[in-house]
Amino acid sequence: MSHGSWHVEDALLGAYARGDVDVADAYSVEAHVVGCATCQAAVATLVTPARLEATWLEVVDTLDAPKPRFAEALLARIGVAPHVARLLAATPSLTVSWLGAVAIALAVAVAGAHQGERGLAVFLCVAALAPVAGVAATFARGIDPTHELSLAAPMSSVRLLLLRTVAVVSATLVLTVVAAIALPGLSWTAAAWLLPALGLTLTSLALSTYIPHTTAFGTVAGLWLAATIASAARPDDALAVFDGAAQLGFAAVIAAAGLVLLQRRETLDGWSAR
Amino acid sequence: VRTTTTTAAASDEALLHAVADGDRAALRALYERHAPWLTLRLQRRCADPDTVDDAVQDTFVAVWRSAARYDGQGAVGAWIWGIGVRRLIDAIRRRPQREFGAYERTPDDEPSAEEQVLLNVEHGDLGGALNRLSPELRAVVQATVLDGLTTREAGRLLGIPAGTVKTRMLRARIQLREELA
Repeated sequence: MSHGSWHVEDALLGAYARGDVDVADAYSVEAHVVGCATCQAAVATLVTPARLEATWLEVVDTLDAPKPRFAEALLARIGVAPHVARLLAATPSLTVSWLGAVAIALAVAVAGAHQGERGLAVFLCVAALAPVAGVAATFARGIDPTHELSLAAPMSSVRLLLLRTVAVVSATLVLTVVAAIALPGLSWTAAAWLLPALGLTLTSLALSTYIPHTTAFGTVAGLWLAATIASAARPDDALAVFDGAAQLGFAAVIAAAGLVLLQRRETLDGWSAR
Repeated sequence: VRTTTTTAAASDEALLHAVADGDRAALRALYERHAPWLTLRLQRRCADPDTVDDAVQDTFVAVWRSAARYDGQGAVGAWIWGIGVRRLIDAIRRRPQREFGAYERTPDDEPSAEEQVLLNVEHGDLGGALNRLSPELRAVVQATVLDGLTTREAGRLLGIPAGTVKTRMLRARIQLREELA
């Protein structure tokens, strides 16, 4: 934008930089400088180079900083402390790909549930296993990219374990609730996976205070699969492992596993190192 | 840095194209041209230098990320200003505890009679009329007419409801019209 050879006088420009001009002059300077390369160059001498250089370095730093992952940005947005958000976001089972896999598994199971009671049993079985698998993957040595980091983190591994477990279980529960709403004929069965899911997760954790965690999670998942398959194979009642008595049983299991965990939480320290 | 000789002569538009293609040296050249006046202009609207520097920083980060969205309408400087003044609003909102009433900052002394005459020659009496507006009205005129903010953005920047911006703008318009009639 050229306006012939008119330029802001140096004296006026200097006064403007000091804040010593009235409103009308300031407007006129600003309206001209925004489009005049010559006056822009003149202004450049009026700002301390050190200040401009410091701001430039901040710009470069911001551009070079790694972009926070989806989960980390989300956690930071809801007010989680940055260092906790980073540790949580590095949880293998909190990535988009893992949650996507869970969502697909649940979607297939929902489709199956539309085929009848056995299909529903499959859905409930998968839904109850999803958080168990998520928590297991969280601490599997080969999968966790922050395995070594978390060993050295200034945070007890029990606390990290609990944080991650809560995060993984809540993320999975959200997905499962959404899937359950898509079930045919909403009834109590839509929520029948909830207590088993918590029971299995806590039992696996409690068991891993005694035996290596891969074995613990594998054993619990295997028993669960065997029980649901055996139940579904019976001709009369495919949902036996989810009925009222079983739900009470799972409530008891949750309480017992919780107590064991509370008693033996010390053994979980440095647990993922095993 | 690596293409100093070519960037020195390039037009703002060409530099912005290069920035869209990921040329860091072109961003640096744009920064050298536009950061100084942007800093001064924002400084007139916010007394806290840290907040201003934050806004300038955010502006050039935004220029880097959205250079491809520049549509060629209007000068690059005006485009950068549009980003900058909005980043300043965000920066001020991030530091609500700070005092920032600088949008209302008024020149300490009235222009001398001599200056007044010169102003009248240059701008008709517009300059004088603007200067005689109350600080509240002048801040609204500055935010909406001269800085190009929407009523809502101006309200957020000045810490007043959007409705108040509208009524003050109306009053300013009436006063200016009367003085220039």
